[in-house]
Amino acid sequence: MQTKYKIGLLRGNLLIAALLLALLAVFTHHASEALLLWLAAGWLAVTALLLGFDHRRPATVPWQLLPALLLAALLWVNPERHVTWLWAWAVLLMLPQPRWILLLEGLLALATWGSLHALLGLEQWLLTGLLLAGLMLLGLSRALDLHARREVTLRRARLVPGLALWPGHRLAHDLALERSRSQREGVHAELLLLRTSRHLCWPLAYRLCQLTRSFEPCYRLDPRSLAVILISADAEEAATRREALWHRLDTRGPARTVTLSALASLDHERRALVRQAAELQVDGEAANG
Amino acid sequence: MAERQGRRRRLYTAWYACAALLLLGMAAWLYLMGDYSRIPLPAALSLVMLAATLLSLTREAPPRVAAYLALICGYLLIAMELPRQAALPSLWVGLPPVLALLLLPLGPAMLLNLLLTPAWLALLGNGELDQDLLLSYLTLVVIAALVPWEQARQHALLRATDPLDPECSAVGHDSLHERLASEAERASLLEQPLAVILIHLPQLEMAEEQFGPRAQQALLDSLCQAVAKRCREHDILGREGAADFWLVLTDTTESGALLVEQRLRQALERTTLLETGPIEARMRLCRPRRAESWPRFEQRLHAITQSLADD
Repeated sequence: MQTKYKIGLLRGNLLIAALLLALLAVFTHHASEALLLWLAAGWLAVTALLLGFDHRRPATVPWQLLPALLLAALLWVNPERHVTWLWAWAVLLMLPQPRWILLLEGLLALATWGSLHALLGLEQWLLTGLLLAGLMLLGLSRALDLHARREVTLRRARLVPGLALWPGHRLAHDLALERSRSQREGVHAELLLLRTSRHLCWPLAYRLCQLTRSFEPCYRLDPRSLAVILISADAEEAATRREALWHRLDTRGPARTVTLSALASLDHERRALVRQAAELQVDGEAANG
Repeated sequence: MAERQGRRRRLYTAWYACAALLLLGMAAWLYLMGDYSRIPLPAALSLVMLAATLLSLTREAPPRVAAYLALICGYLLIAMELPRQAALPSLWVGLPPVLALLLLPLGPAMLLNLLLTPAWLALLGNGELDQDLLLSYLTLVVIAALVPWEQARQHALLRATDPLDPECSAVGHDSLHERLASEAERASLLEQPLAVILIHLPQLEMAEEQFGPRAQQALLDSLCQAVAKRCREHDILGREGAADFWLVLTDTTESGALLVEQRLRQALERTTLLETGPIEARMRLCRPRRAESWPRFEQRLHAITQSLADD
């Protein structure tokens, strides 16, 4: 509950920020500057709308690049008016983002600071540079803690809180575990691989998690394919469950299942999934979907 | 965990030391320029930063004290220098809110930034209200706050999605209940036996109070290691409370579970830690009864956990 509360506040803050940027845009006279400010306001508003409490949008690269580029552009277009924003570089470094974007932000900060030379005069310019460098280091050190934790946790964390949907690189390990366990317990376990289009993948993942039993983990292998380990008492039950699941999932993309005991290589199966026709294939034989 | 915090602390210490040096450098620069009246402030502030550095070195003082000292230094410096740099007020007005956001957690930083708005604007605008300046200050404050928000969201998200306990390699509380429920469902569907061993470590709380977090960590780690060595990989060790653990043994009969309990007990008794001595552990085996529903079984587990802790 507490986390949902936080999301609401964050969304409010995003919208207020967008509103303030829009106000700035209204008061400005430069066309290019107004365009940049509107773009930034729009970006914040869209972010507020898209924001959710999951790892669903692992912040795609253009999305993460945009704030840095907008900041640099504003400082270049009208440094006199927007020089206040120079200090924002230090805060921007705190965001969780890949290393090369951090490097790029550092370079952009250097470039924008460099271009302020004429405006500030030597003494102020040097002082500003020193202070900015110190603040950026401070921002970076605040980011490090979260960064380290993220690296470790994201490898094992589920993708959406409360949903048994796991990152794809766990699958190989879990498969080996489940194979030996099902052999010992004498139950029938099989791997079901599904492929669909990019925008249908998340809804399908939610449906898959709902339709399978709670002890059957689901995995998101890449933006287009999902996997689930199905566990049934015997092969007959597995066949009827698989049929029922396939009909209720209501997806057209290619899918294939293979029993864990017959599974030779996961990579091989994934390659075969990409090549095969859009239907459900059971252990290599075509079945009517 | 402790090591990472230590590293972070050292980074801050280095930063405070750099700030002290920078201020000293500024005083020297002013001396060289012959601007003697401006020297006392940076010289005094460099001493304050030195104090902050030493404070952040000692483990006892809360790290917040050093951060506040650094913030006060920054504020004083800006307040004294701002009127002088009035040629470009829009540059310097952005510095205090960013400094506050970098040094303090989001709540106090935002409060300070909003409360101090009139102070900074009055210092710069010579008493007149500059609308442009106000707008850009507020925009910066609001937008810069988004970054700590996003960090907090990421932290909350990691906590909510991480299946493991933050302190040891056992499964965390929520995840444990979810896994146990799904294992109970699996056991009843496939008609397999299920057993849960409840473990209570009575020394854990005392270890923390008397010997510090390191002794507590050693206890936690030895329990997790002992379990990992003697159980199969798909058995689940979960942390139910601070000192209470549930070990879920799938497809295990009563005799099998008793054997595991005995082996675990022997292993823990043989493990002697530096501060706390041999590990004490109270254990009890608990199995779902015939036709017992999942909520009833969970209730029973909670009751037994409580009675183990109270013994």
